[in-house]
Amino acid sequence: MRLRAEYRVGPNLKFLGNLDMMHLLERALRRAEIPYRLTEGFNPHIKLSMGTVLPVGLWGENEYFDLELDEMAPQDFKNRINVVLPPDMQIKQCIAVPMQAASLMKTINTAQYDFILKPGQNAEYLVTSLLDCDKILVQSRGKNKQLLKDLRPGLYDMQVEPGDGFEVLAVMVSVNEPLNIRFDELLAVFAENGLKSENLLDFFRRGNYIREESKYYSPLEKV
Amino acid sequence: MKDRLFRDILPRVSKPVRYIGNEVNMIKKEWDQSHIKMVFAFPDVYEIGMSHIGGKILYGLINETTPHLMERSFAPWPDMEGLMRQENIPLYALESFRPLSDFDVVGFSLQYELSITNVLNMLDLGGIPVKSKERGPQDPIVIAGGPVVFNPEPFTDFFDAFLIGDGEEITVEFLDCLYKHRNLPREELLYLLASEIEGVYVPSLYTVAYREDGTLKEMRPIREGIPARVRKRLVHDLDNSYYPDQPIVPYMDIVHDRAVLEVMRGCQRACRFCHAGMVYRPLREKSVAVVKKQAEAQLKNTGFDEVSLASLSTLDYSGVNELVKHLVETYADKGIGVSLPSLRVDAFSIDLANEVQKVRKTTLTLAPEAGTQRLRDVINKNISEDDLFKAAESAFKSGWMGLKLYFMFGLPTETNEDLDGILDLLNRVKGIGNRYSHRPVQIRASLACFVPKAHTPFQWQSQATIAELDDKRQYMLKHKIKNVKVSFHDSHVSFLEGVLARGDRRLGDIIYLAWQKECKFDGWSEYFKFDTWMEAFANFKIDPAFYTRAREYGELFPWDVIATGASQAYLRLENERAKKGISTPDCRMADCVGCGVCPHFGLAPFHLPNQPVNLPADIMTENIKEEA
Repeated sequence: MRLRAEYRVGPNLKFLGNLDMMHLLERALRRAEIPYRLTEGFNPHIKLSMGTVLPVGLWGENEYFDLELDEMAPQDFKNRINVVLPPDMQIKQCIAVPMQAASLMKTINTAQYDFILKPGQNAEYLVTSLLDCDKILVQSRGKNKQLLKDLRPGLYDMQVEPGDGFEVLAVMVSVNEPLNIRFDELLAVFAENGLKSENLLDFFRRGNYIREESKYYSPLEKV
Repeated sequence: MKDRLFRDILPRVSKPVRYIGNEVNMIKKEWDQSHIKMVFAFPDVYEIGMSHIGGKILYGLINETTPHLMERSFAPWPDMEGLMRQENIPLYALESFRPLSDFDVVGFSLQYELSITNVLNMLDLGGIPVKSKERGPQDPIVIAGGPVVFNPEPFTDFFDAFLIGDGEEITVEFLDCLYKHRNLPREELLYLLASEIEGVYVPSLYTVAYREDGTLKEMRPIREGIPARVRKRLVHDLDNSYYPDQPIVPYMDIVHDRAVLEVMRGCQRACRFCHAGMVYRPLREKSVAVVKKQAEAQLKNTGFDEVSLASLSTLDYSGVNELVKHLVETYADKGIGVSLPSLRVDAFSIDLANEVQKVRKTTLTLAPEAGTQRLRDVINKNISEDDLFKAAESAFKSGWMGLKLYFMFGLPTETNEDLDGILDLLNRVKGIGNRYSHRPVQIRASLACFVPKAHTPFQWQSQATIAELDDKRQYMLKHKIKNVKVSFHDSHVSFLEGVLARGDRRLGDIIYLAWQKECKFDGWSEYFKFDTWMEAFANFKIDPAFYTRAREYGELFPWDVIATGASQAYLRLENERAKKGISTPDCRMADCVGCGVCPHFGLAPFHLPNQPVNLPADIMTENIKEEA
């Protein structure tokens, strides 16, 4: 069977790279004695696919992976693996999905990044002025560093939410193909628009979504 | 402080995971309820320090079985150090994020002579006076253990005490004694530790005098009850000594990213250059049943996908066949592999390597050490050309595509003929490979500079100079072989290693000055600053070559204050036999060769059954034993 899990990566693990996360999960699968399936061939590895790559330096509330395993109730899986996972990496929910379901990598096309600001940063103004732009040009931080990238078509939404002693700037952007907006590119745009780094208390990825006709679905809702 | 690190510091450094702690199986004990608070300090980066078995043993032993606590700290990479100094963040332990200066004991593991500048740097970053004599009542006791402390003399300025030998034997006693006498003044405390616990060497309790020619004249304790020679501590029974069932599982890739099982300690092959082979004698094996149990526990508690059998020469472990078969049978279908760290040069080793590596056959590593039979006899590396060719044949026949061969150069009595011998061996091994493979096989040779080490039969030998080594290198590079890559260790690094390996107390000033001139990570070529070191020697008008010279029998050595159990007479005899090019058998397969270690520690010699080899007539064990 194939299982899809939604998990949280807490701030203590925000410096782990994608390979580190994978090793952490694989080792937990072995410790919990989950009946995972292995690939065929000379160098067998666990059929685990990380749907989302959490960038180094970022923690995440809702990340996803798919795992192939022998029959097992999703609830049992969750209970067994959460015991051996560190407190800062916990499965929140998981469901069985059809074996032929499209991969997470292919379907996830949107991410929400939350930036926690000190109050009084005039975040509302930042939101309106950015959303009013026709183009938001930024030097790409991805593979092609020469590229001047226009973020505007992938900047779906920005909202300011009040908090207790802080404000949350929530940004919904396109990821993966055709336009991948990175969180550090957003940081660069904010800096250009006058947001000082000492006024930025924290940032993380709130979630990963499948966007269809301006609606957002979680990868557990839309398989 | 953790908040500041995570918010302001770590996002700006390379490999931040080195500094976050909190790994799976980390043990964080209650600070206030623990007796002695000790930090295990490793003077290199996290991924190297976390690969070290000794540290894993001590960490589990202290935290799980005693009322004391042990945390960990590693050398920060220079980018992190720079930020820490700039932002006033002291070097901290990964469990509690407390600065090193908060601990009662800071214990360094010295695995390599050149890591000493990192020790100084870590103390300084941790808010502890670098020199022992400058530490006061509030400062931690700074100690060291590991193979390097079998000659502790060059490092005496920086440590309050050295713990000699197997750490699990001595560390708990040390901490217990410290706790019992915690209210005594520092000086009295150190005296008590040195007088009550065997294996504790407190250098400030000894006086040293030199002759006019610079050699040691005398070294003796200045107080009653302090041993003239400090004997190493030894685990007698590995089966019943502590071994961790749930070691820490790092988040990042480390050098040895797997469950590591120590199958035996010590080696009796008696290679005459080998420091570990001498100081860790005698050989002690774990039983197969115990290793099986430890493998099961470690795999269950860590989730590693690989298990490795560690020792100085794992293929010599008497249960290796049974154990490897068991591990492969039990774990292969779970996707868990077995690895053997060091192979012996023979066909049996290759067969076993095939057993565990049914998969990608990339490169095998073998260590013939020298290019001619004559020179292998000199260094007592008991393998023949025939063994090597059979090993190579067996490897290529079963599909390996590459072979890596380790040699040393600059060995005693070495001539150009021996260097030619290396090239000849490489050529012939390549020929064997090409007979069995369609594609050209890759042969790589790595040549290390021979460094004479304390407590070995070659402690009297001179070390080849940098110029001599460079000539030898040039000579070998003149004869390039297609598809054979030969690489050489840096002779400058080896020179400094040789100076420290047989150095004395006068080197303390030089180490201190080199560190002040920002020498650190000397074992990393990108940071090694040879000229700075030479300036430091010049500043104190000390000729470093004094320490790499040949030495006379009868010269008193700085490391004579440490006893390994091996007798001087045995070492001398082995050195003489080397000069004559006569080899000595492995005493597991022959009668006792009389090194003196077993009787010294009241152990029965370890022999393998049914493999009688006659001892050469000139080894008169009884005589040696008497002298010892």
